[in-house]
Amino acid sequence: MNDAIKTQISAFVDGELPQNEAELLLRRLCQDVELRNQAAEYLAMGRAMRGERAIAGMSMLRERVSAAIDDKELQEEFAESEVAAPRFMRSLAGVAIAATVALAALVGLQQMSDVPDVETVQGGEAVAGAADDSYTVPEPEYDLLSDYYNSHDASSSHIGFDSITPRLITYEIRDGRVVEIELTDVPAESDEQDVENAETSPADTL
Amino acid sequence: MMTRRRQLIATACVALGGLVAAAPGLAADEISPDDWLVKMASAVQTTNYEGTVIRLQNGRSDTLKVVHVVTDGVIREKVVVQEGDGLEIIRNGNEVHCILPDKQTVRVEEWNDQSTLFSSLPSTDIQFGSEYDVSIVREERVAGRKAVLLAIRPHDHYRYGHRIWLDIATGFPLQTKLMRDDGEAIEQVKFADITLDEEIHASALTPSTSIENFRWFTQPQRKINRSVDSPWNSVELPSGFAVMSTHEEDLPGRDMPVVHILYSDGLANVSVFIEPANGKKFARRSRVGASNSYSVEYGGYQVTAVGEVPAATVEKIATSMQPN
Repeated sequence: MNDAIKTQISAFVDGELPQNEAELLLRRLCQDVELRNQAAEYLAMGRAMRGERAIAGMSMLRERVSAAIDDKELQEEFAESEVAAPRFMRSLAGVAIAATVALAALVGLQQMSDVPDVETVQGGEAVAGAADDSYTVPEPEYDLLSDYYNSHDASSSHIGFDSITPRLITYEIRDGRVVEIELTDVPAESDEQDVENAETSPADTL
Repeated sequence: MMTRRRQLIATACVALGGLVAAAPGLAADEISPDDWLVKMASAVQTTNYEGTVIRLQNGRSDTLKVVHVVTDGVIREKVVVQEGDGLEIIRNGNEVHCILPDKQTVRVEEWNDQSTLFSSLPSTDIQFGSEYDVSIVREERVAGRKAVLLAIRPHDHYRYGHRIWLDIATGFPLQTKLMRDDGEAIEQVKFADITLDEEIHASALTPSTSIENFRWFTQPQRKINRSVDSPWNSVELPSGFAVMSTHEEDLPGRDMPVVHILYSDGLANVSVFIEPANGKKFARRSRVGASNSYSVEYGGYQVTAVGEVPAATVEKIATSMQPN
């Protein structure tokens, strides 16, 4: 865990992290178990050293946490990271919740548990709705190529004006629904002609 | 070197753009094509706009509502797809939120580039002349505004042509077409209506619906490690293309960095990615919009060329890559 994350977590616990940054931090923690565990340890140490009881940054999460308290996985994660749970929190949630980071994890897990079919893509991030035809996760072989297309697009823009359009292409519309990236397999014979004729002058018909 | 060159060109852009803008009495054809491109470059970088865009591609049309604001060099943009699931893309600097209202999902991506709405617009950092001709075709009306049509025609089949309709008053591109060598448009982006440089309220850049309880997912961030010297090069590069950069890049799902060599002729760009094959499966040919890719295995390495160029070009480059 780098210093920037520690600073962010500290600011969050102190209630000084802007809400938009707090949300981003929570999302990152929700998706990274290792970071979450490290952060929980870090928080527990800091709180023990300061003898803190309350976690200021939690106030904005109370409603969401309340919605999550029935989640067993959440409670287990809480139990692992529990150090010295403030009493008022126990009364609030009905379970002991020690660290804000654990809360973040819980919220994240609760959100994930809503997803009917979560599929992990390369890189360990999660996308939702894989079971729904309107939001199709690419086949593995296309994932590799999609990385190339995205990387090329980003690199090209450093040379000239590039576009949001290639990004939009990753969200094509099919039958009135948004579908994620779809690469078209081109038959071998379709471009053989181009290769053979490549040295001839193009017919520009404008 | 490249950075310095671009800085000089950027400076020249601003200066020349000012000169062109300061000559409103000139007819469209009294301004050289190159000066129109300079004016366009300046307009795209600085103009705030709001309008309806129609994108035609692969026989389909998409209608998009677009709001674009540049403040102190930071792009803030909102694009709302008018059909289907109502996808919204909201950009604030490098952070991009792709919102799918019907799925109650937000996907967070980070873009490290200065993307704009338009694809394949030529930059002013182009060595026109050897591979392309630029000419003024005629004046037309687009989105109710007077526009001048510029044609950028390639000399061979290894790159696409471009047609750009520029607002005569501002130089802003109102319509673009990417053209195949048979004259067929591969992709069109056209404003049906537009307002330029009018005050845009901050609320126009916020999500159309509440996303408070949406699920959020984060795309893996692309990491560029460092510039490297690579033994790989093309032994039969199409004329006009040159290496712009070579670096190693971490991509999701790979144990090893991928070598990424970027070629450009000043307008068309082709990336070549090289990584150990290790049994990976790639489609030999693929296409996304106007972009094509071609993959070939060579000496235990998977070599893939990707670019917004004809299929023949990526094939020629991919199959000509060899290590020294």
